[in-house]
Amino acid sequence: MSSSVVFKSFTGLLHSSSAQDHHLKPPRRRTTFRVSASKTSPRLQNRNLRVAVIGGGPAGGCAAETLAKGGIETYLIERKLDNCKPCGGAIPLCMVGEFDLPLDIIDRKVTKMKMISPSNIAVDIGQTLKPHEYIGMVRREVLDAYLRERAAKNGAQVINGLFMKMDIPKEGGVKGGAPYVLHYTEYDGKAGGTGVKKTLEVDAVIGADGANSRVAKAIGAGDYEYAIAFQERVKIPDDKMVYYENLAEMYVGDDVSPDFYGWVFPKCDHVAVGTGTVTHKGDIKKFQLATRNRARDKILGGKIIRVEAHPIPEHPRPRRLSGRVALVGDAAGYVTKCSGEGIYFAAKSGRMCAEAIVEGSVNGQRMVEESDLRNYLEKWDKTYWPTYKVLDILQKVFYRSNPAREAFVEMCADEYVQKMTFDSYLYKKVAPGNPLEDLKLAVNTIGSLVRANALRKEMEKLTV
Amino acid sequence: MSSVAISASLQISCSSQHVTRKVQPQASVARPSRYVGSKQVTHVATVNIEAPKGLSVAEQQERSGLPVDGPNNTHDKSEHSLETEPSAPRFADERWKKGTWDLNMFVKDGKMDWDCLIEAEARRRKFLEVYPEASTNEEPVLFQSSIIPWWAWLKRSYLPEAELLNGRAAMVGFFTAYVVDGLTGLDMVGQTGNFVCKAALFVTIISIILFRKTGDLENLGKLVDEATFYDKQWQASWKDQNTASPADKSGKNV
Ligand SMILES: Cc1cc2nc3c(=O)[nH]c(=O)nc-3n(C[C@H](O)[C@H](O)[C@H](O)COP(=O)(O)OP(=O)(O)OC[C@H]3O[C@@H](n4cnc5c(N)ncnc54)[C@H](O)[C@@H]3O)c2cc1C
Repeated sequence: MSSSVVFKSFTGLLHSSSAQDHHLKPPRRRTTFRVSASKTSPRLQNRNLRVAVIGGGPAGGCAAETLAKGGIETYLIERKLDNCKPCGGAIPLCMVGEFDLPLDIIDRKVTKMKMISPSNIAVDIGQTLKPHEYIGMVRREVLDAYLRERAAKNGAQVINGLFMKMDIPKEGGVKGGAPYVLHYTEYDGKAGGTGVKKTLEVDAVIGADGANSRVAKAIGAGDYEYAIAFQERVKIPDDKMVYYENLAEMYVGDDVSPDFYGWVFPKCDHVAVGTGTVTHKGDIKKFQLATRNRARDKILGGKIIRVEAHPIPEHPRPRRLSGRVALVGDAAGYVTKCSGEGIYFAAKSGRMCAEAIVEGSVNGQRMVEESDLRNYLEKWDKTYWPTYKVLDILQKVFYRSNPAREAFVEMCADEYVQKMTFDSYLYKKVAPGNPLEDLKLAVNTIGSLVRANALRKEMEKLTV
Repeated sequence: MSSVAISASLQISCSSQHVTRKVQPQASVARPSRYVGSKQVTHVATVNIEAPKGLSVAEQQERSGLPVDGPNNTHDKSEHSLETEPSAPRFADERWKKGTWDLNMFVKDGKMDWDCLIEAEARRRKFLEVYPEASTNEEPVLFQSSIIPWWAWLKRSYLPEAELLNGRAAMVGFFTAYVVDGLTGLDMVGQTGNFVCKAALFVTIISIILFRKTGDLENLGKLVDEATFYDKQWQASWKDQNTASPADKSGKNV
């Protein structure tokens, strides 16, 4: 009986997407592309399709670049061009290649990751990396600015402005091709200026304005649960910095976070010490202090140069699309559980959404409609849903209690595990496993869990 | 660390728990074994000691009065000097040397007393839960519970229920996903190809076979609910399309 429950919800996904197929028929669409486009969407007269991207983070920057390259009249609205988003700044290796990032925006190449259990067992998990493999550490102000500039070079118009709201065309208007009117305040770059109120008419909107998205609000996208992440940038003495040269640390335990991990990530000339939680947001400062404490000896004598906190979405918003408006990145809610990774997924989703618009409009010559944008959603869910689900499972299983965390860290000492996790993190593809190794791993994992739980039982006895 | 700096830092980032910690006597801990169990400490760090599971520990502390950051609250502050906690009691035991247990000291009548070792490690972990310690490179923890032979665990008839069951929530969900996958060709497992998945699968099967105690249907139902919660959160945008915006659907057929 219970399995049928799951069954339903699972096929639910399938049903709706196959229902979708009735009018989308994505595979066939590709072959009869021009024909179907001419039937549905009108050719634009004397102009190209106009699309506004709200938010100039990785999602917005990449979306704007792809749009502009695809022949679309692109506007990128960012409220703060030197914005320094609170972020750990770790990016997977494949992002460097896929997004053609110049190596000089990578501050550090992390090749060693230390995972530290509640009882302070530390496991190095970088041993299986090949010489050219690493996790890149970037400063967001650098990465974001670079991506925006690249979009501008390709023809996107970057506007320094704060998006306020938009007028959505009436029912028939959305389908009839009526424009969306955006209201924003443009800044001229001078400090203290209050800015000038302006409006902009566009045919489609990509909401890439992060966790507090106003675009999401404008289309009634609904809310998601979020974690609060707290981070301190700490300038530590040079001799201490040597240790963090190419090494990052992850701390797990009830003291640092009941449902996430605490981290020390190396940045250009300092380290970022932080932690996050969904379930106990009110205690975040306590967890931060605990994280700092666990790393105490290694950051001793450091000076806090910046304190930052920011929400991290836990799952996608109930609605990621409405008419000709689509959400990408944090605005949509694409951060993975367990690792809390969002930069790559933001950039990817921005690009994927833009590609759907370029394709749907035949390089900006035709009007787009909701079904075109839906292609992006469909492709996204198909491509990444497994990744998200696996990480959700991992988080549920291993971040749940100290014994589970001990087992997790033990498991990470295994070379096979390291290889698999790094491969999937760095390349966002999972190499097929080896059945024998899988089995060994399963047995070992169970062994670890059993031991950690046995100890837990003993610990309980101790108090009563 | 000067005491001035310490109290300053406590003001910046402390919660009730740390206040209590500060009040706590700084007596040295010669025999943590007795210390952990003693009344005195129980009084100071009640929450930690009495809550057996990770989640409830902090739950009880949640009402500690710190402002909760809402999603609209991003703040930047700058320039504090970094301080950590004043030196908390450290774990000490004459058998714990250089980051591991001195096995020689657990030998009784010429035989290794594994039970005693298990107990000692449990005590150490308990202590660390109450007084988390800095992880240092000078004296890394080297002890691995895997050196204790399996029969030593079995002998004491440990059956890890609670936690494995927790894990099972996710696993059952996963397992069903695996099956449904196979039937529908959604190919979540195939795509991920994946070692974790398979590991999870094994654990699922084994835990279902082994730990039947709480395996009644109702519980299983709850587990399934929890396991599929995330799936539902993701599917919302597809449901929405069918219900919330019917107007957009008509006439779109190609
Ligand atoms: C503490 C912390 C650590 C993290 N560490 C990592 C990590 O190590 N690795 C990783 O991959 N991910 C990490 N993440 C997640 C990652 O930061 C996000 O997933 C990612 O930034 C999402 O990018 P985005 O482009 O969707 O949104 P954002 O980066 O939030 O960008 C949104 C942009 O929109 C602008 N904007 C917002 N509203 C408006 C408006 N009304 N008008 C105009 N402009 C607007 C903002 O100024 C901003 O530039 C971390 C997050 C946090 C909070």
